[in-house]
Amino acid sequence: MTAATASNDPVVRIRGVGKSFGSNRVLNGVDLDITRGEVVTIIGPSGSGKTTLLRCVNALETYDEGSITLDGVEVCYRDANSRRHRKERELSAIRAETGMVFQMFFLFPHLTAAENVMLGLRKVRGKDKAEARAIAERWLTRVGLADKFDSYPAQLSGGQQQRVGIARAVAMEPKVLLLDEITSALDPELVGEVLAVVRQLADDGMTMIVVTHEMAFAREVSDLVVFMDGGRIIVEGRPDEVLQNPSHERLKTFLSRLDSTRTRERAS
Amino acid sequence: MELALYSLPFLWQGTLITLAVAALVAVFSLVLGVLLGTLACFGLSPFRWTIRIYCDLIRGIPAVVLIFMVYYGLPVLLSFPINNFLAAVVALTVFTTGQVTEIARGAIQSIHFGQAEAGKAIGLGFWSRMIYVIFPQAVRRFLPPWVNNLTDVVKGSALVSLVGIVDLMLAIQQVIGRVYEPMPLYIVGSILYFLINYGLSSASQRLEGHFAYIRE
Amino acid sequence: MTYHINYNFVWQYFDKFYWGLLLSIELAVISILIGSIIGFGLALIYVDGPRWIRRLIAAYVEFFRNQPLLLLVYLVFYGVPSVGGFKYSPTVSFIITLSVYSSAYLVEIFRSGLDAVPRGLLDAGKAIGLSPWQRLLHVRLPTMLRVTLPALGNQFVSLFKDTSIAFVIAVPELTYAAKWITTNKFRIFEAYSVAAPMYLVACYAMFAIFALLERRFAARR
Repeated sequence: MTAATASNDPVVRIRGVGKSFGSNRVLNGVDLDITRGEVVTIIGPSGSGKTTLLRCVNALETYDEGSITLDGVEVCYRDANSRRHRKERELSAIRAETGMVFQMFFLFPHLTAAENVMLGLRKVRGKDKAEARAIAERWLTRVGLADKFDSYPAQLSGGQQQRVGIARAVAMEPKVLLLDEITSALDPELVGEVLAVVRQLADDGMTMIVVTHEMAFAREVSDLVVFMDGGRIIVEGRPDEVLQNPSHERLKTFLSRLDSTRTRERAS
Repeated sequence: MELALYSLPFLWQGTLITLAVAALVAVFSLVLGVLLGTLACFGLSPFRWTIRIYCDLIRGIPAVVLIFMVYYGLPVLLSFPINNFLAAVVALTVFTTGQVTEIARGAIQSIHFGQAEAGKAIGLGFWSRMIYVIFPQAVRRFLPPWVNNLTDVVKGSALVSLVGIVDLMLAIQQVIGRVYEPMPLYIVGSILYFLINYGLSSASQRLEGHFAYIRE
Repeated sequence: MTYHINYNFVWQYFDKFYWGLLLSIELAVISILIGSIIGFGLALIYVDGPRWIRRLIAAYVEFFRNQPLLLLVYLVFYGVPSVGGFKYSPTVSFIITLSVYSSAYLVEIFRSGLDAVPRGLLDAGKAIGLSPWQRLLHVRLPTMLRVTLPALGNQFVSLFKDTSIAFVIAVPELTYAAKWITTNKFRIFEAYSVAAPMYLVACYAMFAIFALLERRFAARR
C-alpha cells in the first residue's frame, strides 16, 4: 500500500463512484474530496444514495464503478484497475482506519460502555487491557459519560448510547469519522447532547463525513455541504451558499419540504 | 434387597456408558452444529444449500434407522468392520448435529445484522466478530432449545443398546435376563433416566440465569 | 470381499416395506389421536385446575418427557403384564406406550395454546350466551388450534419417527421390515436405502399437510 501523506492531499477521494442494487441505480457517478480536518455534510431526500455513499467509504458496501481511496489506498479493491475484491482480512484493516457511528447505535448489548470502546482497541489494535481501559475511560469522559463506564447499553438513554457509539468509533483514531443520521432515532430532547459532542470533535479537527437532516447543525458545523439526489451530487458548496440561498430547484423543494415536516412535527 | 445388591454394579456401569455416549454426542454435535449453523448463516451459497439439505434429510429419518445404516451399512460399503460404539456415536452425532445446526442458525439469525456491521466498522475480522460480538449474544437464544435437545440426546442414547452397547438400557435388560424381575428393574431404570435428565435441566436453568443480563 | 448391490430381495419382499410403512402411519395416527385426547383433557384441567392438580400434571409431563421411549416400550410390553398377570399383543402394547408418551408432549403444546386464548374472547362467548361446552368447541378449540398448529406438526412428525422402535417388540412396521431383510437376506444397504426414503417421504407429506392446514387457518383470520 502506498500512503500519500502530503497534508493537502484529500484523506478521502471519491471518483466516479457508481453502484446498483439490481436494476436500481443508487449511486451514479459521484466525485468528492474530503481534506484533513474538514467536515463534509451530505444532505438529500431518502433514497438519494447518501447513506450508501457513506457505507462505501468504509467498505460496508462495495461500489461497482469508480474509485474511493482512503489516504491513497483503494478501499474495496486490490487496485482500481483490476477490480479484484479485497480479502476479508484486508477489508478489516481498512475499516479499522475509518470510524462509523450508526443511526440505530448498534452498541454491543452484552458489553459495558467501557468494554464496547475497548473491544476494537484490544482485538484490532492489539492493546493490552489496562491501556485499552485507559483510552476508553478518556473518551467516555470526553463525551460526558464519566459515570457510566460500567453501565450496560440497556441501562443508558438513547443519547447516552449514541455518545458511547461515538466514543467507540473515535477511540480507534480513525482517519475519517462517518456519521450516519446519528440523531434520527433519538427523542428530540436528546439530540442536543449528541450534537454537542460532534461539534466538539469538529473543533478538535476530526475529519468527518456527516449524513444528517439537522440543517441548523449542518450550517453551523460544516466546511462543505453536499446535496445529493438520484444517486448524484446536485449541489456542493459552503453551507451558507447552499442552505441560505438555494439556487437549484430540487434543493429548494427538498429544503422547503423538510421545513414543512418539521413544523408539522412540532405542531403535533 | 438381594436383587438390589446384585444389580447395582451392572446398572452403575450402564449408567456410566450412557453418560459417556451422551457426553460424546453432545460435545461433537455442539462443535459441529455451531460451525454448520454459522456457515448456514454466512457461508457461500453451495455450503448453505448443502447444510439445508442435510438438516432437512435428518428431520425426516428416525434415529434408529440412522444407527442401523451406519452400524450395518457402512462396513458393507467400506468393506471393513466398524466398532459398534464408534458406529453408534457417529450415527447419533450425525442425527443430533442436524438439530443443533438448526438451533444455532436460529440463534445467530435472531441477532440484528447491525451488530455484525458495528463489529466490521471497528475492524473486527469474521471470526472475531463471531466470537466477541455474535456468539455471546446468541448464546441466550441458543441455550434453552439446546438443553431440551440435550435431554433428547440422553433419551436417544438408549438406542445404542440395539447395536449391543451395554448402556443403562441394555444393562437393565441383561439383569432382567438373569433374575426374571422385569418390573422393579424397569422402574429403577426409568427413575435413573429421569434423574439424569432432570439434573441436566436444573443445572441448565442456573446457567441460563447467568446470561440473563444481556438485554437488547 | 466386495459387496454387490442387489435389490432383488428388496423388491421381492417389497410388500413387507409397504405394509410396514402403512402400519407405522397407523400406529402414529392412533397413538397421536389417543394422546391428543389425554393431552387436551389434561391441559384443560391444568388451565382451570387448583394448584395440587397442576403440580400433579406437571409431574406427569416431566416424568414421561424425560424417559427414553425404548424403556417405556419394554416396560409396558414386558414389565406391566409380568405384574398384572395378563397379556396383550405387541401392537396394542406399543399403541398404549406411544399414546401415553405423546400425551406428555401434547399437554405442553395444548396448555400453551390455551394460555394464548384471550380472556376477552371467552367473555364474549359468555356474553352471547354460549354454554361451557359450546365455548370450548367454538371458541377455545379453534383459537387454540391456530396457535398450536406449527408445534403440533413438528410433534406429530417426531412421534411418527418414534414408531420406528416398535420393531423391538416385533411389531411389523417399516423398520421391522428393513431389519427382517438385513437378518434374513443380508441385503443391509439395500434395505435401509429403501426404508429411509420411505420415512423421509412420509415425514414430508405430514409437514406438507400441516403447512396446508396452517395456510387454511391463517386465511380465516
